[in-house]
Amino acid sequence: MQTKSVRHRGTRELAGYLPLIIFAGVLVYISVNAPNFLTLRNLELILMQSLPVVLVCAGLGVVVMAGGDDVVSGGIDLSIPATAVLSAGIAAVMLTQGWPLAVCGIAAFIACMIVGLLNAALVTRIGMTPLLTTLAMFVAVVGVNNVITSSRRINVDHPFIVALRAQDVLGIPLGIAVVAAVVAVIYFATHKTRWGLHLQAAGGGRDAAEISGLPVRRLLGQSFVLAAFTGFICGFFVLARGSGSSPGVQDNLMLEMVLATFLGAAFSARRVVTMWGAVLGAVLVAAISIGFKSMGVNVFWTGLIKGSLIVVVVAFSALAQRGR
Amino acid sequence: MSRQSAFSLEGVTKKFPGVRALDKASLDVRVGEVHGLIGENGAGKSTVIKVLAGVYQPEEGLVKIGGKTLSQVTPDTVHAEGVRFIHQELHLVPHFTVTESVFLGQELSGRLGLDTKAMREDTEAFLHDVLGVDIPSNRLIRDLTTAERKLVQIARALIDDAAKVVVFDEPTAPLASDEIETVMSAIRRLKEQDIAILYVSHYLSEITDICDRVTVFRQGKTVGVFDNITNQSGGDLVYAMVGRDIADMFPAKVDRATSPGLEVVGLGDGVSFEDISLNVEKGEVLGIAGLIGSGREELIDTIYGLRKAQTGTFQLEGEPLTIKSAAQAVSAGIVLVPRDRRHDGLVLSMTVTENATLATLNQNASLGIENRRVARERTEAQIMALDIRPPNPDAVTRLLSGGNQQKVVLARWMAKAARVFIFDDPTVGVDVGAKSEIYQLIDDLATGGACVIVSSSDPVELQGICDRIAIMMRGKIIGELQTRHLSVDELVSAITGAKEIENSTYAD
Amino acid sequence: MIWAMLQRFGFLLVFGAFFGLFAAWNPVFLQGGNLLNVIEGSAVLMIIALGMTLIVATGGIDLSVGIALDFGAAFAVVAMKSYGMDWFGATCAGLIGGSVVGIFNAILVIGLRISPFLATLSTFFIGSSVQRIFTNGGGPISHRRMPEEFRNLALGDIYGVPTEAVIATVLVVVYFLILERSIWGRRIHAMGMQRSAAIVAGIQVNRILIMCFIAASVTCAVGGLIAAANIRMFTPLSGFSYLLDAIAAVFIGAALNARGRPSVLGTVAGVLFLSIVANGLNLMGLNFNTKDALQGIILVSALALAVAQQRARHNFAS
Repeated sequence: MQTKSVRHRGTRELAGYLPLIIFAGVLVYISVNAPNFLTLRNLELILMQSLPVVLVCAGLGVVVMAGGDDVVSGGIDLSIPATAVLSAGIAAVMLTQGWPLAVCGIAAFIACMIVGLLNAALVTRIGMTPLLTTLAMFVAVVGVNNVITSSRRINVDHPFIVALRAQDVLGIPLGIAVVAAVVAVIYFATHKTRWGLHLQAAGGGRDAAEISGLPVRRLLGQSFVLAAFTGFICGFFVLARGSGSSPGVQDNLMLEMVLATFLGAAFSARRVVTMWGAVLGAVLVAAISIGFKSMGVNVFWTGLIKGSLIVVVVAFSALAQRGR
Repeated sequence: MSRQSAFSLEGVTKKFPGVRALDKASLDVRVGEVHGLIGENGAGKSTVIKVLAGVYQPEEGLVKIGGKTLSQVTPDTVHAEGVRFIHQELHLVPHFTVTESVFLGQELSGRLGLDTKAMREDTEAFLHDVLGVDIPSNRLIRDLTTAERKLVQIARALIDDAAKVVVFDEPTAPLASDEIETVMSAIRRLKEQDIAILYVSHYLSEITDICDRVTVFRQGKTVGVFDNITNQSGGDLVYAMVGRDIADMFPAKVDRATSPGLEVVGLGDGVSFEDISLNVEKGEVLGIAGLIGSGREELIDTIYGLRKAQTGTFQLEGEPLTIKSAAQAVSAGIVLVPRDRRHDGLVLSMTVTENATLATLNQNASLGIENRRVARERTEAQIMALDIRPPNPDAVTRLLSGGNQQKVVLARWMAKAARVFIFDDPTVGVDVGAKSEIYQLIDDLATGGACVIVSSSDPVELQGICDRIAIMMRGKIIGELQTRHLSVDELVSAITGAKEIENSTYAD
Repeated sequence: MIWAMLQRFGFLLVFGAFFGLFAAWNPVFLQGGNLLNVIEGSAVLMIIALGMTLIVATGGIDLSVGIALDFGAAFAVVAMKSYGMDWFGATCAGLIGGSVVGIFNAILVIGLRISPFLATLSTFFIGSSVQRIFTNGGGPISHRRMPEEFRNLALGDIYGVPTEAVIATVLVVVYFLILERSIWGRRIHAMGMQRSAAIVAGIQVNRILIMCFIAASVTCAVGGLIAAANIRMFTPLSGFSYLLDAIAAVFIGAALNARGRPSVLGTVAGVLFLSIVANGLNLMGLNFNTKDALQGIILVSALALAVAQQRARHNFAS
């Protein structure tokens, strides 16, 4: 009896690491087949490429923490990518009209906060499910952004945007430093403060949080505002990555965000969506996309690879859960 | 020894549309005593708790704490007066640590954000000094036993050291018998520290065990206050509660003709139990007794196909049978009245008719299209037969009382004309009146020639309704007892392993 | 009294207000021909939304409805173009194409126990990629010489009623009978509301779930057939554009339903609302982007109103 249960625990733990092992395997395979994959330059490229996704994943992570990880009834915010694109659109239009960066930033910030507050109000006041609210909000925000940009591609060559893409600070690319700082602040806020604990309690056990007198609805609302803030920041990285604002970015960003965040859940030992998991997921997905590209795999295949990754990783983590 | 009053309610009346939940009820709890509050479901116990908590505002009456009348009873004023509530539900976040759970909503701050060290030390000290247990403060809630979680919940209510009155609402309900003592001894320690304790429970043995005085409610009124509680007080308390004796609850035992029914041989799930063999004849009620962790619940789930069996075979009326899913069990005529009826028994947002006909949809349909009139008529007949209240086939089952919900589940299976009825803790959360009705229904089923299995955590219930009881312990059946000349005490000592079973009909 | 009426019919009133506004703005809106256009134009969305309703009723969600539509169109067009099949063969091929998507979803959800959201998201990724690979990057496959009968799926009429409207209506009736009136519908709703209770009641939830995924995808493939017949080609990844509208229609419908459940009639109301708003905005002669933005804002407001109304009704009842 004893040995059996020990062996069970052993396989369960192994199964717990399987998602990471699979990823490691794929990365090793890529680096064997694409010799320059593991160079510092390429790793930097991967990180740079993943920055927008990392930011929105961090935002989504906060919302899931506050709302619980049931996709349909719990916390989810699909509108973050649209918010990011709105931020990018407003900034791009205003920058090309010659407004100072600060004014553009404030305008984009206000617009994003409105989106976040609307999400919060619809979910906590009216009682709509987050999935539905933010999906509809996604459509509306993209529509509004298309009016602002007239669905045109807008090139931006403002020094700040260029710096985000190309400048180094103390040997570290500025963009990576900024995103790392933002993620670190959000991590500190959600894991090391009273507010963060309350937020996690709200999502982890709603009844428990309510009984303890925590303002669960307000916390959930705040998470949407914070998520919109990550969208605001992300907007500038969207501009930096694409040298400007272009229509259609949001769809891909949304899919990548959901993919990375929920893959991230498979990485965490407790199988819950965490900040680190989401960020790691975003980076790994970018690594694999770039890796396959540098192996010369046709870009048409990336969707297939990503889809299969979800299947393999999530199925294995479901398998590990079942072993309990 | 007459101590001063810690808190009291005087002449409290609380009305809801159509009911007087409390009718000039009074309650007086003194410093340093454990005061029991008992009554049937609907007697007003939970209303009184909510009045004291400031959740309900009574129409009449006074709330006094420490001899002082509260002018305003709100959750905040009550909390400020040192009244704490230990709710029946645990309400803890599964992936939080013990420390995080204890201090949730009342965190200690240091210079740099949270003072995690102080919180950790306080938690461990409190658990050790006040409750007398050592639980590592960095363990996750989901890795704790239920009793340990209960203690964490208690610690959370009392950690600020300001508690004068603690209300325990059914503190042992989710616990296994062997875990209860842990919580009980913690409560005794609190009492020694001159904290007044109001102990609300259905379990009379606990009440007589731990309480100094007891107040009995019936229909919103205080019908008795007992000052000298001993182990012998149980009968008096029951009489005060229901106005009749326990024995009346159960149908009289009769001999029924039996013939081969369900036979289970060598069943095991590879984890919680192994090599279980059982045999229920038609016309017989077989009890299954066992503590939490004995594998009793898992066994029931496996017989019904909800869990995978690793070994074992089934025979029904002499014919071999495979059960790999609940659907297979149902089509073979084996049905389950599950322990968690709100979760597994009923689709709560569906109506009585929709739930009662869920397993017999084919009977009320032609070409797959449902004939709603027929379904409704059949359900109305069953509502009459089982006395389901309100007698409305379109009532949403979420709004029914526990006993009536249970009857709807039964109505569904009776429509199915099942051959084997499995009851898993059938009367949990059911009030005394509906309990005895359900016992009568179980007896009628057996008399009608069905095989009945009753798995229960209530020894009184098992002794009262079963013909035979199989005792499970640590995943095995350790013996079987005939109930005809069995006392509840003997049964309890067999279940808890206090006494070995003699004359076992089950050779091991 | 007035408040109670508002709660019950608030959404209807807003709907009426829009109707009036559009009619006042452009008289063409109210002409029979235009309203018929609306119905004809919403046929494909209606069909997709029906499939979505089925999956949402089981308690899941299907993000791959667009893929099923694409596959339906692709299989049919290729069957005619490369294998010279007649309209009937092409239709069957299209439906089989849709069922492939459904079977794949069923394997992921039931076999591998992946949640419907993530499973159908994977299907979406994989299905999109397959189309890109197959068409070498996403170029359309056109088939100018489509059999007349197949083209009539979109362009023909039956006693003056456009065929696609007839197909959509027939599917609405079939879905209504199955989901709201049949014993299977009762089982589907039971498992969507409370799965564990449905299992204990002896309902074969896995079998039902498999059937639902396949049925929903095949339904979406019908939408694909109509879309392909309409433009005489298969355009890869064109199904995605229906996804958000389909979800919105189902949930507007669920919010209008007395129990807050997805329902066929609710979905029909949701689809008509979305289509009429789109059509009315078009007739207002707005610029494309403005129209898009307004549509999005109306969608958010409509959902909020419908949900708020449902909440109010619940509070009122209890």
